[in-house]
Amino acid sequence: MKQALLQGRQVSKVFAQDQMKNKVLDQVDVDIYKEDFTIIMGSSGAGKSTLLYALSGMDGVTDGTVAYKGKQISRLKEKHMAKLRAQEFGFVFQQTHLVSNLTLFENVAVAGFVSKKGSTAEIQERTRSLLAQMGVEKAGNRLPSQVSGGEAQRAAIARAMIGNPGLLFADEPTGALNKSHTEGVLSLLTSLNNSGQSILMVTHDLRAAVRGNRILYLEDGKILDELILPRYQAEDERSRENRLKDWLSELQW
Amino acid sequence: MENRIICRAGIRRHKKSLLGIAVLLFLVALSLSTVLTVYIGGGEYIREEIQRAGFGNLTAWVSGVPDMEALRDSIKTQEGIESIKIQNLIFSEYEANGIESDSEGQLIPWNPGEETYHFFQDDLTGYKDLPEEIAPGTLYASPSMVSIMELKIGDVITFPVARGGETISLTVVGYYEDPFMGSSMIGMKGFLISEADYEGILQTIREAGMDSLSRIGAMIHIFTRTESEVSVSGINQRLNENTPISQYTEFIHSAEAIEGFMGILQNAFCGLLAAFALVLLVAAMVVLGHSISGVIEQEYKNMGILKTIGFTGNRLIRLQLVQYTAALGAGILFGILAAIPAAKVIGRITLTTTGVLLPADLPIPSSLAVFAVILLLLVGFTILKLRKIISVTPMRAIRGETAEIKWKLSKAYRLRNEGLPLRLAMRQLLSGKRQYLSAGLIAVLLVFFASLTGRVNVWLGPEGKGMMDAFNPADLDIGVQSMGELDPKEVEDMVRSYTDITDGYLLAMPSVSVNGTNYTANVITDPERFHISQGETSREEDQVVLTETASLDLGVAIGDKVTIRGDAGSREFTVSGIYHCANDMGANIGMNREGYLSIGQDNPDIWCHHYFLADTSQKTVITEGLQVAYGGDVHVHENSWPGLFGIISAMRGLLAVMYGMIAVFVCIVSAMTGSKILAAEQKDLGIYKSIGCSGEMLRMSFSLRFGIVAVLGAAGGTVLAAFLTDSLVSAVMRLAGISNFASHPDLLNILMPGLTVILLFLGFSYMVGGRIRKSDMTVLTVD
Repeated sequence: MKQALLQGRQVSKVFAQDQMKNKVLDQVDVDIYKEDFTIIMGSSGAGKSTLLYALSGMDGVTDGTVAYKGKQISRLKEKHMAKLRAQEFGFVFQQTHLVSNLTLFENVAVAGFVSKKGSTAEIQERTRSLLAQMGVEKAGNRLPSQVSGGEAQRAAIARAMIGNPGLLFADEPTGALNKSHTEGVLSLLTSLNNSGQSILMVTHDLRAAVRGNRILYLEDGKILDELILPRYQAEDERSRENRLKDWLSELQW
Repeated sequence: MENRIICRAGIRRHKKSLLGIAVLLFLVALSLSTVLTVYIGGGEYIREEIQRAGFGNLTAWVSGVPDMEALRDSIKTQEGIESIKIQNLIFSEYEANGIESDSEGQLIPWNPGEETYHFFQDDLTGYKDLPEEIAPGTLYASPSMVSIMELKIGDVITFPVARGGETISLTVVGYYEDPFMGSSMIGMKGFLISEADYEGILQTIREAGMDSLSRIGAMIHIFTRTESEVSVSGINQRLNENTPISQYTEFIHSAEAIEGFMGILQNAFCGLLAAFALVLLVAAMVVLGHSISGVIEQEYKNMGILKTIGFTGNRLIRLQLVQYTAALGAGILFGILAAIPAAKVIGRITLTTTGVLLPADLPIPSSLAVFAVILLLLVGFTILKLRKIISVTPMRAIRGETAEIKWKLSKAYRLRNEGLPLRLAMRQLLSGKRQYLSAGLIAVLLVFFASLTGRVNVWLGPEGKGMMDAFNPADLDIGVQSMGELDPKEVEDMVRSYTDITDGYLLAMPSVSVNGTNYTANVITDPERFHISQGETSREEDQVVLTETASLDLGVAIGDKVTIRGDAGSREFTVSGIYHCANDMGANIGMNREGYLSIGQDNPDIWCHHYFLADTSQKTVITEGLQVAYGGDVHVHENSWPGLFGIISAMRGLLAVMYGMIAVFVCIVSAMTGSKILAAEQKDLGIYKSIGCSGEMLRMSFSLRFGIVAVLGAAGGTVLAAFLTDSLVSAVMRLAGISNFASHPDLLNILMPGLTVILLFLGFSYMVGGRIRKSDMTVLTVD
């Protein structure tokens, strides 16, 4: 029996502008399980990123509830939400979103300090180790503007992992990368998942989606279907991709 | 049309920034216009009033003149003299509200219809028509008596006319404007009385003979020929040499000197306020420069786009210049307009100190010239800063290649877990120092000026000791002058009955002429008491010490010889040193008793006994006790002077206004700089929030950045003030005859301006940082 890490119930999100209301999420019920690599797919405007940000508390919900490890988080005060983000959640964005005037090392270390999971020396050591694991240790003293997109995104993953998060959220993490950088980032995420890291990722890229073991398909603000796959093995990539394509074509993607 | 569209769009987009600049220029223009109105307008007004009232180019206060007609004729025949006007008066000590005067008052008869003086409405809000008459038993006083003796209409002023209790009490029925000696900075005060009372007092004086305490005197207004080549001081010398006037002269002053006395207070404060306005102008230029750089950064892309559709760099500069000039011009214009009511308010507030209702009419030609220069300077500075626009190339701008962060790896700053908000603030500062440069410079300027004024305030002291020490030739706790037959020993014994006298000396202040020019001589029995700044004190009989002012006026230095004439003869003295005494704007010399007695007559009445007390807290009690016991036969004074409190309260007022302006400046600078930084850091703030930083922590860190900058600026300003204050203020004080300015502030006074500015920056930036709490992370999702 899988343990539900994050639970969304009747989650709705409405954007209102000039008396025009746009319901992007419509009473979504969703469970995200521990150690899963969950993928959210869907057509443009289906509400994928909105669901990710609603579930992660990055953005509020209009209606419904979100619970993390059984505790409601959708109405938490700012201070408690900040603590949750610092200690339990990690985020990777489509754009790298590193603080522009901090070096890669500092970007990662600051997140570690905020998580308060260890002393200065321990966090600095873990930062070095994570940057090495991501293959960007040599770029640690450079500013985001001085490294390639791939290096920056790998540093962003290191930053997301520095607090040993319970759940890693990723919003199209390879969307702005070229092919070789995309491959590197996906390998990293896969390897993290293989070591037990729970991941919830939004993507519209098939090569990225095949890395997941559970794929949710979103359309018009509702989860239309889900596909369960075995854990990712590089040699199965072609067959996983075909299976995914078939499933998506059934859903008229 | 397109120009108008772009200008309007620019104003709409940067309205807060333009408004901030307009407000800063408003404050600068308000301060400067007020200074110009009070300084130029006030000076001109006093000058005009002196002329209108018929006071001469030179005025001698005389007493005991046996034959006024003979004296008049002897003066009239001198070269360069056009005419003479005699204004009769009576010199008399006086007392009101339990306060005894420290200088003789002058009772001046006023005849109905005489238009020499203006009269104030009872509430001092303006002038009223001439009274039909001054009723016997009443008088009109200068409004400065309100600050000196807390005088109000209905109070009674008592003048001791003769020994044996012969006094005259006159009721105050109103105030008049005295452009001649109305300022609280001038010890002698005039009172307008009825002809009948004047005649009555004359009669009493004549009958009392030797027992009279009041003295018959006059002001001799001497008008010089306009075509005469002889200067006023030259005429003064000739009068002393060729006429008997020096035998009767109490004091003699030129119209310029009187104007200087009358304007000393407002000029000193105008000087401080003008310096502050200049500091504000520099600060406003720093903010302006910062704002222009910010706008260019924000509009970089738009400017690139406009260049692609054919706008030239120069045209874009002109369009920006129009927006800034509009803001600068509006700020200056409203500042000038606001100065008119401000000058009116200042005129009314200071009336009880200056004695004249300072006009609120802006001196148009001077103001136009000053503000034209300022506007030209600002426009030139704006153009200089806007020249960066020329280097905008369309493709670079559209690609967004402006956000270049310069961060030298060799200066890497280690972030640590402990005190993360402070360390992050420090780190942000190190990599974005240019953004905080304006805040830092402004902190330096504001702290420097606040420190400078604070040091002047400390020098002045809560009871004005600094000022008194500058004015008195020697220190004292209490001074007692016995009149007539009262035995000084008896008075001294009474002082001892309250507390021991630890030390004492005698001081007399007769009038003498030095190389033909009149000066007050400080004659002392213990010359070691003089405040000597150079050379030696006048220990020998033939030695004299001069103030720096007298030394410069006479063109003599230590070792030179001068001829001093007293009322018993004249002889040569050698200048042995320079001492401090700002009385009569520094027109003083100092000598020992033996030296004076070789040229002047001795008289027990001229000597004032200066005592140092074992228990100084007894000063007021002793003063009151002596006055009760001996009345008009004794004159007692402490190391203070009633007019001083007007200066002290004016100084406090100036400090309050200045700190208020500093608060407004810091608020605007924090808002402008902070808003710009926050707008540029929206994404970074979202990132920090996404990794778990709370809004409060980010707000605190943001505020700390300004706090750190303010600490650095405050340190710079404090150090600058420590090095420059004494020399800068001394240069200004010398104009008032004070040559010994040296501030010795305590630690609290040194730190106070810096701490205030730091706290203001912390507070205002914390308030500006409030929007951090509202900023959400969706900014990260909408690229």
